[in-house]
Amino acid sequence: MTPNDTSKGAVGTLPPGRIESVREEAVVRVWELPVRVIHWTVFATVIVLSITGFYIGRPFLVAGAEPGFTMGWMRAIHNLSALVFMSAILGRIIWAFTGNRWARWDQFLPVSKERRENGRATLLFYLLIRREIPRVVGHNALAGFAYLLLFVMFLVQIVLGLALWGLQYPGSLLWDSTNWVFSLTPIPMARLIHRLIMWFIWGFVIHHVYSAWLADSEERSGIISSIFSGRKHVPTDRG
Amino acid sequence: MSKIVVDPITRIEGHLRIEAQVDGDQITDAWSSCTMWRGIEKILSGRDPRDAWYFTQRICGVCTTVHALASVRAVENALGITPPLNAQLIRQLITASQFVHDHVVHFYHLHALDWVDIISALDADPEGTAELAQSISDYPKSGTGHFRAVKARLADFVAKGQLGPFSNGYWGHPAYKLPPEGNLLAFSHYLDALEFQRQYIEIHALLGGKNPHLQTYLVGGVAIPIDPNSQNAINAATLAKLRSLLEEGLRFVQQAYIPDLLLVASFYPEWTQIGGGLGNFLAFGEFPAGAANPSEDPDGLFLPRGIILNKDLSTVHPVDPKKIAEYVTHSWYSYEAGDDVALQPFDGETTPNYTGPKPPYDFLDTDGKYSWIKAPRYDDVAMEVGPLARMLVAYASGRKEVVDAVNWALGELGVGPEALFSTIGRTAARGIESLVLAEHSLTLLDQLTANIAAGDLQIHNGELWEPDTWPKEAIGFGMHEAPRGALSHWIKIVDQKIDRYEIVVPSTWNGSPRDANGQRGAYEAALIGTPIADQQQPLEILRTIHSFDPCMACAAH
Amino acid sequence: MVHALTVTDDSLAGGLTKRGVSRRSFLQFCAAVTAILALPESYAPRIARALEEKAKPVVVWLKFQDCTGNTESFLRAHNPGIGDILLDVLAVEYHDTIMAAAGTQASAALKAAIEPGGHIVVVEGSIPLGDDGVYCVIGGRSAIQVLEETTVGASMIITAGTCSTFGGLPAAAPNPTGAVSVADVVSGVPIVSLPGCPMNVDNMIGAIVHILTFGAPPAADRLGRPLFAYGERIHDHCERRAHFDAGQFAVEWGDEGHKKGWCLYKMGCKGPSTFHNCPSTRWNGGTNWPVGAGHGCVGCSEPGFWDTMTPIYKPLPAPPGFGVTTNLDSIGLGILGATAVGFGAHGVAKAVQRRRSTPISIRSAEADGNEGTDQGSGQEADTDGDET
Ligand code: HEM
Ligand code: HEM
Ligand code: NFV
Ligand code: SF4
Ligand code: SF4
Ligand code: F3S
Ligand SMILES: [Mg+2]
Repeated sequence: MTPNDTSKGAVGTLPPGRIESVREEAVVRVWELPVRVIHWTVFATVIVLSITGFYIGRPFLVAGAEPGFTMGWMRAIHNLSALVFMSAILGRIIWAFTGNRWARWDQFLPVSKERRENGRATLLFYLLIRREIPRVVGHNALAGFAYLLLFVMFLVQIVLGLALWGLQYPGSLLWDSTNWVFSLTPIPMARLIHRLIMWFIWGFVIHHVYSAWLADSEERSGIISSIFSGRKHVPTDRG
Repeated sequence: MSKIVVDPITRIEGHLRIEAQVDGDQITDAWSSCTMWRGIEKILSGRDPRDAWYFTQRICGVCTTVHALASVRAVENALGITPPLNAQLIRQLITASQFVHDHVVHFYHLHALDWVDIISALDADPEGTAELAQSISDYPKSGTGHFRAVKARLADFVAKGQLGPFSNGYWGHPAYKLPPEGNLLAFSHYLDALEFQRQYIEIHALLGGKNPHLQTYLVGGVAIPIDPNSQNAINAATLAKLRSLLEEGLRFVQQAYIPDLLLVASFYPEWTQIGGGLGNFLAFGEFPAGAANPSEDPDGLFLPRGIILNKDLSTVHPVDPKKIAEYVTHSWYSYEAGDDVALQPFDGETTPNYTGPKPPYDFLDTDGKYSWIKAPRYDDVAMEVGPLARMLVAYASGRKEVVDAVNWALGELGVGPEALFSTIGRTAARGIESLVLAEHSLTLLDQLTANIAAGDLQIHNGELWEPDTWPKEAIGFGMHEAPRGALSHWIKIVDQKIDRYEIVVPSTWNGSPRDANGQRGAYEAALIGTPIADQQQPLEILRTIHSFDPCMACAAH
Repeated sequence: MVHALTVTDDSLAGGLTKRGVSRRSFLQFCAAVTAILALPESYAPRIARALEEKAKPVVVWLKFQDCTGNTESFLRAHNPGIGDILLDVLAVEYHDTIMAAAGTQASAALKAAIEPGGHIVVVEGSIPLGDDGVYCVIGGRSAIQVLEETTVGASMIITAGTCSTFGGLPAAAPNPTGAVSVADVVSGVPIVSLPGCPMNVDNMIGAIVHILTFGAPPAADRLGRPLFAYGERIHDHCERRAHFDAGQFAVEWGDEGHKKGWCLYKMGCKGPSTFHNCPSTRWNGGTNWPVGAGHGCVGCSEPGFWDTMTPIYKPLPAPPGFGVTTNLDSIGLGILGATAVGFGAHGVAKAVQRRRSTPISIRSAEADGNEGTDQGSGQEADTDGDET
């Protein structure tokens, strides 16, 4: 996964030929452990939730005459991983207020003039108008905003998921606290949205992995490996 | 000359209004108006054609099942699907029992009070009633004790002053002719028929999950599996239950319905001269042999297809569906090409255009548009449809079962076939048909049983189930004889969706307003000449109108 | 204002026993109703007592944009039978499908029945509000006029069927007549909602008996549906549920799984989205129910089911704005495909742009000099190498 050993922080390890002007670089530990753990927990649970969820909606495996418990397992795993997933999301929300500056909530919002500028520049880069990717230490503003949209989708998934879960236990606390959802949207529509968002999430993932790769190959900052190690190479001239 | 209004017409399905011109003691002209419309044809547009049966079944909960069947037949006709024999037989069993059920309920609960004076039953002698009952039938509950109990119950009920459905009836009206004993007998059977109908219809629950609005139709077959070795499918126990229910039905028709019908008819002979109406009759026919779709194959129908014109029983004319077209000249719709043209259902339009008075109102503008019912015509001729049309076509075609039953009934009453063209004729045809079909339903069950015994368990033809197997465009129609008459559904499928759906219903034919040529619909025509003893109590209007068994939810949909 | 329930002086139990219904079958009836109401068996004597003391409530049954299916269902009452109900249990003073009177006599019967107030109004069918209500007119008066007049002074309204409860079929898209439910237009009178297409008569009898026994409408969900009948999902009481959990599904009509009674989920069953007691109460005297007869549930007791539970043979509806035959997962795959193709193209374009570009040294200098936008600051970077 890691094309260059960023942990060493040695400029010389960069492959030759791409960068001709040698710059001063510092290794910055951008992603703290919780951020990384959460990232990969989310990654894993989203995969599990999607596979089990897809099955729940469209059972592609049909058991034979032998009684099994396929759907039962799928639902149990879905619910279990939903719990892990929700904990991870909750953890990330807490970390958005307690973590380092690149983990903070404002990284996801174009709140400052600087971030708006960065967002514009990054957009120009993506539109092939600007050649050089604007460099940042944390997320670029555009990515931050994409993560915000992703988080909104996650929250909707959680609310819909909890409400669907509640259907099984009429009158329970879960039911009482979530049934309002079905005043906003009928049950089948809620399921439809839950499923549709799954697809949107995977649309995000494609974009996400691509742009991580793109940024990595442009910046040579070890952005991809950063989500494993936490460390990024950052030119010192920009801190 | 005065114009009287009966609205609501009760003891029918739905919202029917009759305006009638009365001259002296006779009706000289009449207008039939349905005052409710839902727009189901429009609601169907854009939906999955395989769902259409479920929607259209809700056109009517009285003749439930019939629109479902016409609809699956239309889609099957459009796509060229032939359901397996078992599915055809199950559908026909459902249909035959629907006929018997619907006719029994009509006779006892919708129509009987036109002939039966409930209050007069209080003067009946239970012993005389028992004698009368035993003289006409060997129906079991016919002893003096039984009638004494029924009379006591009625007396108790009436004494409480809360008459429920019998409140404000036309009791004591001079047109009631049955003796008190006849009235008590009828009241007793009114109650028995209530009990009978809810039990008999378990046939539909067995085959369709529930009634009303069965839930086992499918384009391409039925959804109820057959497997003699499964407890979740039609098995020997199901067949045995069906048999006993069907036999029960036959018994009730033989021992109660038919004798009661003949009793009523014998006390109202003048009503074989009243209410004849159009004299043109159309029947699509029903109960195809084997696996044929009656939309495609007119041969082999147990009740044959045909047309009788001008009460002439010597010729049965063939039916060409292309000659069916609907006018909206006097109906609250508009056509793009103008309201004087008639449109064939494949090109039909359903665009509401209400031009009547704003409610509340006292009279409709009967010179203009005055009903939510369109005016279907066959080859530009107004037709009567229904049990009478079916029995006449079958009789004139020489269908043995029908000829025998009709001749026997006419013999019992001592009248000739011309008596059939009347209010009583319509009512009698319904009873005769019930008898024929209650018997036929057992034949159908035999066929189903034999087919299962031969190892055929197929219930669905799934070759063209998936919409991506369909052509880009297809049109088809589904013909069906519903209890009230000839029913047709017309569908155009484009890109796997319903593009156009038009429904022409028995009560649309019978209850239609005038067309562009001023031809009256069947109700309107039949009312002309009907006597009116008391303009405040239009009992006679009810008799003739009820003889058609109107269904307005069907008629306007 | 809301009146107290009007009842005649004739008690239900009295009526039943007087006409030969034995005490034993009366108690059986009470036990059956107890079961429908999902009450413990020990409640049966209480119900019996209540019915013995209370008398016949006055009922007027209005029909608007309906199909009479709920009336037909009502006529299928089996315990007690419909004959007993009409003569002994209820005073159905107005019901145009069965009443003897017609025209002005019928209207007069309605007037007389509602004058004292306290009557129960049963409504079947939706109410069209479009174009001054011309789509449903009775005796020259629009449905909404009739409804408003009739509910004055009523003790409660029972909406029989999905049409009067939620708008039902007439209100399905595109709702050509502007059809609405009773709750959309009437306020101030308690409404007991008995949806279903049609409603199951057992639930109506249950609701009425509950009202007579406890003097109040049964507890209901947020849609007004009594919990005893709509408190739990079809799916959670379905006899095929074990097959669902096992992953045993019918996949074609008439296949082995279908014959064996396996789960109908893949055939489009909407049981998981539907609250109704069909699996336990069943229909027509407990004879059967839709899933029992091999067809999926269509969700007929849910609001808007005509639009939200269709297409019938697919587990989920088509996404709004797409045709009915569009599959959600095809759209999902479309989203993925489009994203993948989009970014793939972007990658290629980027590569082309790179190859054509000026030497990186110049480019970097340019970029660094003119468009440096990063706000990150190395000084603040956590460079101690320790994981936190
Ligand atoms: C990224 C997150 C998630 C994804 C991608 C996902 C995906 C899915 C999918 C595709 C379905 C099937 C929908 C259908 O076709 O009917 C489903 C069902 C469901 N999901 Fe999720 N889900 C996610 C999160 C959650 C969460 C957080 C919860 C609960 C807290 C949850 C609870 C449920 C429940 C209860 C069902 C219905 C299961 C059933 O019908 O038995 N989901 N999910
Ligand atoms: C289900 C799949 C995934 C989801 C939902 C996801 C989500 C996220 C989120 C929300 C962040 C922001 C981190 C934070 O601030 O908490 C992030 C960052 C990151 N992810 Fe993922 N991720 C997924 C898969 C992957 C994969 C497979 C890779 C590896 C190529 C990856 C590489 C990265 C990188 C390099 C960053 C940091 C990028 C930056 O600086 O903006 N992610 N991801
Ligand atoms: N007319 C009519 Fe029907 C019938 N029979 C349908 O096709 O009643 Ni509701
Ligand atoms: S709810 Fe269903 S059964 Fe009742 S009136 Fe409406 S369409 Fe008919
Ligand atoms: S048949 Fe329907 S209600 Fe029954 S278990 Fe399967 S999905 Fe659930
Ligand atoms: S369609 Fe309706 S009747 Fe029951 S099984 Fe489903 S709720
Ligand atoms: Mg039509």
